[in-house]
Amino acid sequence: MERLLNDNIVSQIREAFGSLSNPVQVLFFGSRENCDYCDDTRQLLEEVVAISDALSLSVYDMDTDADVARHYNVDKAPGIVIAAKEGDQITDLGVRMAGIPSGHEFSSLIQDLILVSGRDSGLNPQTREMLKALTKPVLLQVFVTPT
Amino acid sequence: MAMESDMVQAEMVEAMEFNDLSNQYGVSGVPHTVVNDGKGNVVGAVPETNLMAEIQRAVTR
Repeated sequence: MERLLNDNIVSQIREAFGSLSNPVQVLFFGSRENCDYCDDTRQLLEEVVAISDALSLSVYDMDTDADVARHYNVDKAPGIVIAAKEGDQITDLGVRMAGIPSGHEFSSLIQDLILVSGRDSGLNPQTREMLKALTKPVLLQVFVTPT
Repeated sequence: MAMESDMVQAEMVEAMEFNDLSNQYGVSGVPHTVVNDGKGNVVGAVPETNLMAEIQRAVTR
């Protein structure tokens, strides 16, 4: 199969990753029905995780792995969860994507991987305090387009 | 933000692929952030303090 990322892009990503400090587990959720971008998204993720030893990918199907999808609150395909990993322990941080991360959103994917690996949100101290003080669930859905 | 609180989940949604959802929330420009199924909305890339303020408005609504 033809690669989606050329050598130039791969070396740029490798540079951006530097030495990723902590392991990251990427979970992919596909669907065999009504999913135009599932195959491309899966291939893209396979190529990205191959760039660093700190990254691993697990592949799930929305239907046959419905319990896993529910556990990670994934209801759209392609769905991507970017989770922290310590040994065999996967910690869901609530960071996910729905749809193919191409164009601008490819940068967001790379940035998310770097943030989760660093276990550091990069937010200012005041925002962090306010977030930690939240007592009710918050769902943020950021709508984006690839161009 | 999701990384800082177990209460927060953040999902980046590709608006074209999930057109019905975009229409439901009246997304016409991006980025557009929907808080708790429409209780809050932020259009554009805003400073984190603005988004945080909208989150707090949304959870008390």
